[in-house]
Amino acid sequence: MRNKHGIAGLAVFAIAAVYTCYQATGMHAERESWNALAWVVLLFTAFNAVSKPWADDASNMRSFLLHTVKPQDWLLARILYYSLMLLGLGALIFAAFLLFLGMDPFTGSGALFFFLGIEATALALASLLAMIQALAARAGGGFSLIAVLGLPLIIPIILVSTRYGMDIMKGIAFGDTAHHLLFLATLTGGFTALGYILFPYLWRD
Amino acid sequence: MIQRSWKIGGLALLGYVLCMIFFVPLGPGLLEFTSTGSAGHVQDQDRKVTVYALTGFGTHWTESPDQLTVVLRHGTQLASLPLIETLDATHVLVGMDLPYTVPSKSWDVLVTHPVDGTLLLENGVFLQDRFIDEQTKWANPEIAEYPAELPFHFPYQPQILETIRNLMLHVPMWFTMFLLMGISFVASIRQLSTAHDLHQDTKAEASVQIGLLFGALGLVTGSLWARYTWGAWWVDDPQLNGALVTVLVYAGYLVLRATIQNIRLRARLSSVYNLFAFVILIILLMVLPRFSESLHPGKGGNPGFNSYDLDSSLRAVFYPAVLGWMMLGTWMYHVRLKASSIERKLRQLQ
Repeated sequence: MRNKHGIAGLAVFAIAAVYTCYQATGMHAERESWNALAWVVLLFTAFNAVSKPWADDASNMRSFLLHTVKPQDWLLARILYYSLMLLGLGALIFAAFLLFLGMDPFTGSGALFFFLGIEATALALASLLAMIQALAARAGGGFSLIAVLGLPLIIPIILVSTRYGMDIMKGIAFGDTAHHLLFLATLTGGFTALGYILFPYLWRD
Repeated sequence: MIQRSWKIGGLALLGYVLCMIFFVPLGPGLLEFTSTGSAGHVQDQDRKVTVYALTGFGTHWTESPDQLTVVLRHGTQLASLPLIETLDATHVLVGMDLPYTVPSKSWDVLVTHPVDGTLLLENGVFLQDRFIDEQTKWANPEIAEYPAELPFHFPYQPQILETIRNLMLHVPMWFTMFLLMGISFVASIRQLSTAHDLHQDTKAEASVQIGLLFGALGLVTGSLWARYTWGAWWVDDPQLNGALVTVLVYAGYLVLRATIQNIRLRARLSSVYNLFAFVILIILLMVLPRFSESLHPGKGGNPGFNSYDLDSSLRAVFYPAVLGWMMLGTWMYHVRLKASSIERKLRQLQ
């Protein structure tokens, strides 16, 4: 129900955004701006990814699905789809960052840990935005409603991620900052569970 | 009758709290202890000493001025400083007659006085013109201690000073918002489990509306307090960001309601969103601040006011304030709920 052009478009968007950062920071970014830009690009790509409507947001398709699939399974499928897509896009964004903006901020295996942070954030964003997208589509509010509802809700995720990224760049040992990842994982689990319970209320007529 | 006693009780408590806020004086304290740079004579002595000016806050030094004692303290070592002149109730000049070798350059300043009791200015003075010899010791002078003879007053706290009164306004605002959002959370759960009736949805909406009002007041009172104590209307701080984002999340709830025309769908979708919002509220205001450093009182663990900071005089006003604002908040919520229910019934009749 999604098409390949959509995903290719997102990839181009992400790379273009990274390239813009590269031009804007003048080829070499300080670690503060490196960190900020990486999360902003990931965030915008995620919002871009969920802004495209699903074919089943249309009411005839939804009533067909209501009789064939359990709504909970349908939400899990959506979360899985967004998770895979954002994991891929996260990896792409990170690779583009390394390519254009360089590896200077990282020491040792810092880059690997930063990548782990990006992927954990991608999962948390996917689990929350899948629900918000469904909610906004059902309310008929379109993209602006996704932004109004989603942006405040994702703030806890971004707060934790940026702090984690900065810790890694400062060279703090992974073991001392890994609780941020644990927190992200808890958020992912919590949002998925909450969505799993609530999605049927949202989905039925 | 129950409704009326609720209303009267809340207003009575708030009346008491407002009277206390405006009429209870602040206790005495020490503002600063600085060198005047000039030399002066101490009575009965030929030696010249540097004159230091001690500034108090709300002190009564003109009453029995000869019983005022200024003491420097480092660890267990004490030194009593001779008085030169009492200028007025809050200003006094003393001579710095410490020897040239001292165990430390940084000293606490203590003042004992029959009216004010013992006042402390931690690390109040740094003696640049002395030499350190940690072995230096001298016999501690006898210091007369007086129990304070003050009427009921709020404790003096450095930096915060008179703005301590804001404690009775700022903190209860957030407690009341928590309560109202909690009511809304429960109402949303009940709305989802009883689909045929929209009464719970009206409850959830009314409590979010009033809760947002209290949240906004919490932000305003907090901002005023931040301006006074930290010097800026807004500072980048996890607790403050969490508070602002919580208000935005609930504003999103009202936006979501406004976009949906179908009332049954609106009840269901906004209930779903409300559950998410409450979880985020808990995370932002109760979990995340414990994770991080914060300027906000109770830093390093507890995001609220530390229990050590609340002495009995503050408690005597703070607890009634919390109860009073909560009662006022729930009363406002009931009024709002009644109005919304009537509006809904009118629309059904049309």
